[in-house]
Amino acid sequence: MSLWINYFVQILLYGALALSLNLLLGYAGQVSVAHAAFGAIGGYTMAYTSLEHGWNFLLGTLLGMAIAFVLGTLVALPALKLSVEYLILLTLGVSSVILGLLVAYPSFGGTYGLISLPAPNLFGWHLRRPEDWVLPALVAVAIVYVICHRIGESPMGRVLKGLREDPVATSALGKNVFAYKVSIFGLTSALAAFAGAMLAAWLRLATPGVYGFAFSLTIVAMVIFGGIGNLAGTMLGATIVVLLEPVLRRVIKIEAAKASFVQLIIYGVALAVLMRLRPQGALPEGFSLWRWLRGDRAPKTRVEMTAEWVPTIVQQTTDRPDTDLPVAVQERHERTWHEAPVVLRTTGVSKRFGGIVAASELEIELRKGTITALVGPNGAGKTTVFNLLTGAIVPDTGSILLNGEELVGLDPHQVARKGMVRTFQDVRLFNRLTCLQNVMLAVQHQPGETFTALAVPNGRVKQAEAETKAKALDWLRFVGMAEFADIPAAALSYGQTKLMSLARVLATEADVLLLDEPASGIDTKWVDTMLELIEQVRDQGRTVCVVEHNLHVVGRLADHTYFMELGQITAQGTIAELTNTPRLAEVYFGT
Amino acid sequence: MLALTFETFRQLTVDGFFRGCSYGLLGVGFALILGVTGRFHFAYGFLYTLAAYLAFTFAFRVNWPFWLSAAIGVVLASVGGSLIEARVYRPLARNAGPTALLAVFVAALGIGIAGENAIRLLWGANTQSFYGPTKEPYTVWDAIFINFDVWQAASGITITLALAAMLRYTALGRRIKATRANPDLARTIGIDSDRVYVIVFFLGTFCASVAAIWYALKYTVDPAMGTLPVTYAFVTAFLGGTQRSPIRVFSMGIVVALIEQYSSIWLEVRYTQTAVFVVLVLYLTYLAIKSSAWTARFSRPRIARA
Repeated sequence: MSLWINYFVQILLYGALALSLNLLLGYAGQVSVAHAAFGAIGGYTMAYTSLEHGWNFLLGTLLGMAIAFVLGTLVALPALKLSVEYLILLTLGVSSVILGLLVAYPSFGGTYGLISLPAPNLFGWHLRRPEDWVLPALVAVAIVYVICHRIGESPMGRVLKGLREDPVATSALGKNVFAYKVSIFGLTSALAAFAGAMLAAWLRLATPGVYGFAFSLTIVAMVIFGGIGNLAGTMLGATIVVLLEPVLRRVIKIEAAKASFVQLIIYGVALAVLMRLRPQGALPEGFSLWRWLRGDRAPKTRVEMTAEWVPTIVQQTTDRPDTDLPVAVQERHERTWHEAPVVLRTTGVSKRFGGIVAASELEIELRKGTITALVGPNGAGKTTVFNLLTGAIVPDTGSILLNGEELVGLDPHQVARKGMVRTFQDVRLFNRLTCLQNVMLAVQHQPGETFTALAVPNGRVKQAEAETKAKALDWLRFVGMAEFADIPAAALSYGQTKLMSLARVLATEADVLLLDEPASGIDTKWVDTMLELIEQVRDQGRTVCVVEHNLHVVGRLADHTYFMELGQITAQGTIAELTNTPRLAEVYFGT
Repeated sequence: MLALTFETFRQLTVDGFFRGCSYGLLGVGFALILGVTGRFHFAYGFLYTLAAYLAFTFAFRVNWPFWLSAAIGVVLASVGGSLIEARVYRPLARNAGPTALLAVFVAALGIGIAGENAIRLLWGANTQSFYGPTKEPYTVWDAIFINFDVWQAASGITITLALAAMLRYTALGRRIKATRANPDLARTIGIDSDRVYVIVFFLGTFCASVAAIWYALKYTVDPAMGTLPVTYAFVTAFLGGTQRSPIRVFSMGIVVALIEQYSSIWLEVRYTQTAVFVVLVLYLTYLAIKSSAWTARFSRPRIARA
């Protein structure tokens, strides 16, 4: 009996470590192979302080967590700009350094490690027998589960998933990607140390073998088997992985010496096979056992899509005649543009990449409640202008003033918070999030995105989440995509992704919208929908700047047009004036 | 501890050079695979071990001549590398789309651990001794080394130069470089990138297998012998640059081994391995700081007020 109790406790404690890895790997998308090493920091700190200094194991655990938190944060600092393969290598290096030092440092017992730890004393209760451990292990795993769930399934979890899917797009929506990445690394490292210390307290030893490579793999296997981004799945994965060994030994009767090899072969093969057949694991992300048990079994993942599907808004607008606007309208456009107050002004903005001048002495004005177009041949630097304005590229010289405030030197997320957001030419939706989540992520000032708000049970977070959802649904409705709320963005057609990306920037409620080719590449019958929407946005008093190739689009939308060539603004005025300039017509308009 | 004699220094340098030829060859193979295919091939260490075990089996169980057995081991392991790409990584990557790197990494981790334990199950978990040609010591420049060291260095340098020449002067080399630069574009001009990947896995594993034979001859074979070399292969390949010339990566292997050897002057031997990883972590940190967003953080542009 006590043997099975031991397996149960093992499931719980391994599970606790795997849960924290899932928060890091599954939710935030940070592939770390150093997780077991952070567990080792917790285990060794607890073991060393209790053996050498007679500390209570809880105190040692806390110290271990603090050390792991600091180290985890430090590791995350360089990880900010590294791609996945460098992150794997960095964590591999860190893991080797940590384990190497633990083995090499004489006071930690070398390859033998620290053994014969005293029985842990939990407020006077000495945990000696296997059954003593059931309750403490349950409490330990519950603590980790609650923390991971609280963060993972909150607005902050949504930001972390955004980080996983596309950090650039997340940052462009005003989220401080850097801070999230660093803090989630620190937090999960501390949680790993906590689980590692509990493991050492239960085993009453901390050795290099306990936290070695096989252990690291076991933890990864638990997360992958159970389902990346699903915490209940991780506990299921822990159960499967831990129980594999006794099942092999007792049921299939493989001799003990070979059982551990066979077990590792099964893990290994299963990992490879699973990645091929069911990469999402046993319980996929977003699957809730609780909802499933209540009979809510088939969450809608697909809307019947026919070739004829058009956004609902089109039905109201298609009766509009599709002709070029008369010249009189364009002149009115230009007059209102000159009368409108300036919202954004750039002065002398230049940027060179080596010998290439990407932008030279840019003088651009965006005016309130108007649409400004940026046209020019391919490679003229139009998208570079957006990158400069939003802080993705820092200009060499010049100034960018938004409502009188200097933007140069701010990070993309800070620019977004000042009220200027952009879309991307390649759209950059968060593919594995639903359309609704995509838009909800864009809503600003969500209390549930901060650690302090999540630290205590907080009605405000819940209420704000309901408001966020309502707002996001409104914007989905505005672009005619409400029926797709629960569909993952990856399932959308290209035209739909463009509508979604418009809904996403609108949900930020920013005053200035920079739209990179909003109508390019989409079905002709949708173009008018898109233009209609952009005009409505302008009529709400927002300031819009579009980069666009389609002259029909520019002609209809633009109140004022800048013409760009080789990183310079070479002309401006109405589109009619520009098309009537012979030189420009030859350079670009091709007539 | 700082009582360093010139003699010790020479021995460390010679040891570092020969050891570095092994790291270099491992790094060249890994860099080729990662640089061209983008697959984080963690099962590299398993194939390294497999080559040694296959050679061992043909030489001492089937009793074939040693060099023939070694060649068969190297070739079979290399074919194994190609098979892993064609049968596991490729379908996996197609299926996983944008998350291919993680999927391949996890699968490779799985194959590595399954393979290592399959070797334990089939050949036994113990160390096996490996006798080939007779070991002959040399003393040059007051430093001692053996004939295997020389052969290892010679084969490493030869393979690296041959690879570099192949990449530079042959049609296959141009196809590989085109695929490395942009697989999709390469496909549009008629390069069968699937085939290139398979060839690259063969060549990469070939490098590792040759290194494995020399290691086995110098020491012994055991199921875990691939764990450490694969880590050194990663380090060498990344420090050298996975997209760079094999010659540069190979030289980086020697630099890594020299760092490891020289660090024993100041550090106790048990810390020297860790020293290499410290260098790696520092290098990656440097890379991160060098990249634009960070430098921008520390050097604000001058603002020209109008």
